[in-house]
Amino acid sequence: MATEAAPAPQPTQGEETPLLHRFLEGVGGPFTFVGREIFELIRVFALTFFYLFYRPIRWREVVRQCYEMGYRSMFFIAVVMGFLGMIMVMQTGLQAQKMLGDLSMIGALFLQLLFRELGPTITAAMIAVRVGTGLAAEIGSMVVTEQVDALRMNDAEPVQYLIVPRVIACLFMTIVLTCIAMVISFASAMAGAYLMFDLNPRTFYNTDLLIWGDFITFAMKSLAYGIVIPVIGCHAGLAAFGGSEGVGMATTRAVVNASLGITFVDFALSAFGFVFIY
Amino acid sequence: MIEFIDIHKAFGPKKVLRGVSLTVDKGQIMFIIGASGAGKSVLVKHLVGLIRPDKGRILLEGQDVTALTEEEYYPVRKRCAMVFQNSTLFDSMTLLDNVALPIRKHFNVSMKEARKRAIEKLELVNMADAAERFAADYGDGMRKKVAIARALTLDPEFVIFDEPTTGIDPISAGIVDDLIRDLSERLGVTCIVISHDLRSIFRVADRVAMLYQGQFRLDGPPAAYRETDDAVVHQFINGLPTGPFEL
Repeated sequence: MATEAAPAPQPTQGEETPLLHRFLEGVGGPFTFVGREIFELIRVFALTFFYLFYRPIRWREVVRQCYEMGYRSMFFIAVVMGFLGMIMVMQTGLQAQKMLGDLSMIGALFLQLLFRELGPTITAAMIAVRVGTGLAAEIGSMVVTEQVDALRMNDAEPVQYLIVPRVIACLFMTIVLTCIAMVISFASAMAGAYLMFDLNPRTFYNTDLLIWGDFITFAMKSLAYGIVIPVIGCHAGLAAFGGSEGVGMATTRAVVNASLGITFVDFALSAFGFVFIY
Repeated sequence: MIEFIDIHKAFGPKKVLRGVSLTVDKGQIMFIIGASGAGKSVLVKHLVGLIRPDKGRILLEGQDVTALTEEEYYPVRKRCAMVFQNSTLFDSMTLLDNVALPIRKHFNVSMKEARKRAIEKLELVNMADAAERFAADYGDGMRKKVAIARALTLDPEFVIFDEPTTGIDPISAGIVDDLIRDLSERLGVTCIVISHDLRSIFRVADRVAMLYQGQFRLDGPPAAYRETDDAVVHQFINGLPTGPFEL
């Protein structure tokens, strides 16, 4: 076979981008980045939703993920929510004592706040830290070591194979963890009220302010967070590139995006509750 | 025959491929060499749709595979296997199950039949004795051999090897070289091999193309690399630390 000498490569150094081009890139860059990020998230979310109803679902992986996400997060969430419940009741108790001198409704108010906001949202924020980053690191590592490419070579769709079991597990475990976190938080708040203000636990346990709408809000928020956190975490992992630095960036991106996602969902659902439920 | 026609690919501002064209004939063993980060893996991944080009076309036996959807790539990936640089075995599975996975995914066969076929492929790389062990128990060299066995399970017409002998001992590297030669000569499989292993290149390659600054610098038989007057190629092949080669 004849040897072919290829033409000399184009110069790579000394190439100057025009000033206007650089200016437009600088101004438009962040907007196109955010736009692309949102588009990609919607695409991954739509694919996940599609494959949720597509067989087969890897149930063994779902169970394994439930253990990883749920059981292993329980201690962290229990400790934080326990202390948070006590701190909340201490702060509100002090204010109420100064202004009203009556603490009889503090338990009822705390319970309402727990259902509407504190329980689902703070638990979700902790799940985002513990689980979202873990998902981004795990899937990001698979991307940079070409395991995701290997899956695609074997006709396994990464969203179906990797993301769907994690979303199902996180959806289920977010609800479970939120319920556990709320029980622990309420119990520790009750203990705190008794120890600090000598408030009888029977007085503290007051469900008068709870309405069915609070349960609906709680369920809607838990479900929404249970989907948003794994989709954002897995998306960050799938978008990883390069080596270990890329995986690190993916985890940072996961926790930032998940926090923003939780905030937007919280705002939207709280507004929905305010307009249609309360 | 595989044809890459005027392939351009950039990642952000970095232009990795700048109009690369390459034709690989049927049954040929084509080595692609170049510095780390030159775009060798990027180029070959275009063939199986793992990366899409910014510009250019890829033809596989005359069929344009440039703009296929993910599902349309499935039959292409069945014909064209790939051994990845990182082996990419699934640690939670035994070696046998790793090799049996593509058989179960692509053919409607029983688990017993898939495992039987997988054992045959593991024998090719002298790993049949370790079939029931987990992938996580083994080092890079062993994993690479199993990854090669997995790539051969579907009896592909084309195989892409991404640095198949990197990280494995010289004897195992020799086995891999012989396997590549055997695939080409006995079964007519077209092999594209990305490698820095000069011994393998001069031992099994029919043709070698060197990628440099986004284009092929030299494309020819291995002997051409010994005879060339091109200072860049000469520096790379001889591993000289100084010269005109820009990393």
